[in-house]
Amino acid sequence: MKENPVEILLVEDNPHDAEMTIRALRKQHLANHLEHVSDGEEALDFVFARGKFAHRKPDQGPRVILLDLKLPKIGGLDVLRTLKSDPETKHLPVVVLTSSREDKDIVESYQLGVNSYIVKPVDFDKFVQAVGELGWYWLLLNQPPE
Amino acid sequence: MTFTDITHRKRAENEINQLNASLELKVRQRTADLETAIREMEAFSYSVSHDLRAPLRAIGGYSKFLSDEFGTLLNDEGRRFIKVIRDNVTRMDQLISDLLQLSRINTGQFHFSNVSMEEVVQEVITDVLPAVDRNRFRIHVDPLPAVKGNENLLRQVWLNYIGNAVKYSSRSEKKDIVIGAEVQGDEHIFWIRDQGVGFNPLYKDKLFGIFQRLHTQEEFEGTGVGLALVQRIIHRHKGRVWAEGKPNQGATFYFTLPKHANNEGKSG
Repeated sequence: MKENPVEILLVEDNPHDAEMTIRALRKQHLANHLEHVSDGEEALDFVFARGKFAHRKPDQGPRVILLDLKLPKIGGLDVLRTLKSDPETKHLPVVVLTSSREDKDIVESYQLGVNSYIVKPVDFDKFVQAVGELGWYWLLLNQPPE
Repeated sequence: MTFTDITHRKRAENEINQLNASLELKVRQRTADLETAIREMEAFSYSVSHDLRAPLRAIGGYSKFLSDEFGTLLNDEGRRFIKVIRDNVTRMDQLISDLLQLSRINTGQFHFSNVSMEEVVQEVITDVLPAVDRNRFRIHVDPLPAVKGNENLLRQVWLNYIGNAVKYSSRSEKKDIVIGAEVQGDEHIFWIRDQGVGFNPLYKDKLFGIFQRLHTQEEFEGTGVGLALVQRIIHRHKGRVWAEGKPNQGATFYFTLPKHANNEGKSG
């Protein structure tokens, strides 16, 4: 039996932000193959198919990671650093989706090789629009290396 | 005679050296205290920007879900309540942004360069007034001198001054705004004059205070941070701000910049 490839890995510890993100993606019909984890350790376990995700085939996605920065256990910037310094995962598009508009977070994310940096809008309509656009861009428009 | 003189001088020298040393120590301690305070302030604004926005986003988002999915079950009054919640979310978001900006002006280091005030003013006018509105307002800009300062911060000043002039004359018959500058002593004085609602000169000292407003939300929207921001920015440029006005007879807002400015905008 073929398992469904996961297209979006959402790394978000705030359950309400997670629900809103998923709803926003669903509005754009982009939430069908989404996995939600709530800390940095789980995110890395998922990507590298270990721990409780050991059964997973690592070649089955994700195609894009939506990453919060302030996370329990392993922070978002450390997750980003790990992913971008591993040759197996460094091509994986990572979009930071955060409340922080601090320059130092933005600069450090880009230095670590983030593919996009989005500040979560407080206004839900803008939130839907931002999440929809980034989902559309990374899942439909962007052409990753084969 | 000579002997005693030297003793006196020696003793005085020693005292001065000791005073200098203790002064040096005090300065170092105070500097360390100040640096700690600045770091704490930065951590505080970081937390404000991240942690206060998350609950706000949830309030806004879930009230939107409520109106989208259950709006038909509510009557007009119920739907109005949701709208009030959402409007206040937007307002608090704006307030948080404004406060963060204010705290950054206090603690940040700013690079000074030559700034063409004419260019900045023209750009701000284009930003503030949508093309459709530009015919409703008459804005005249006199020649403005170039100055030394931080361009982004000075843009903020004009954004607030021009934004206010437009806002407070938007309901007045005369929508004339004039911007100008003159030299007085070793200062440039910049000013902007409108024919809008003006203000009671009794309150002119309150205008630049944070969260001080002379109008209600219903009359004119605002967070009460704009002019406080202007004042901090101009103080960091070693200039002054003030305003003149009368109720329903327009207002003139001023700021000065020293003609010969230093290269850095150090905090403190």
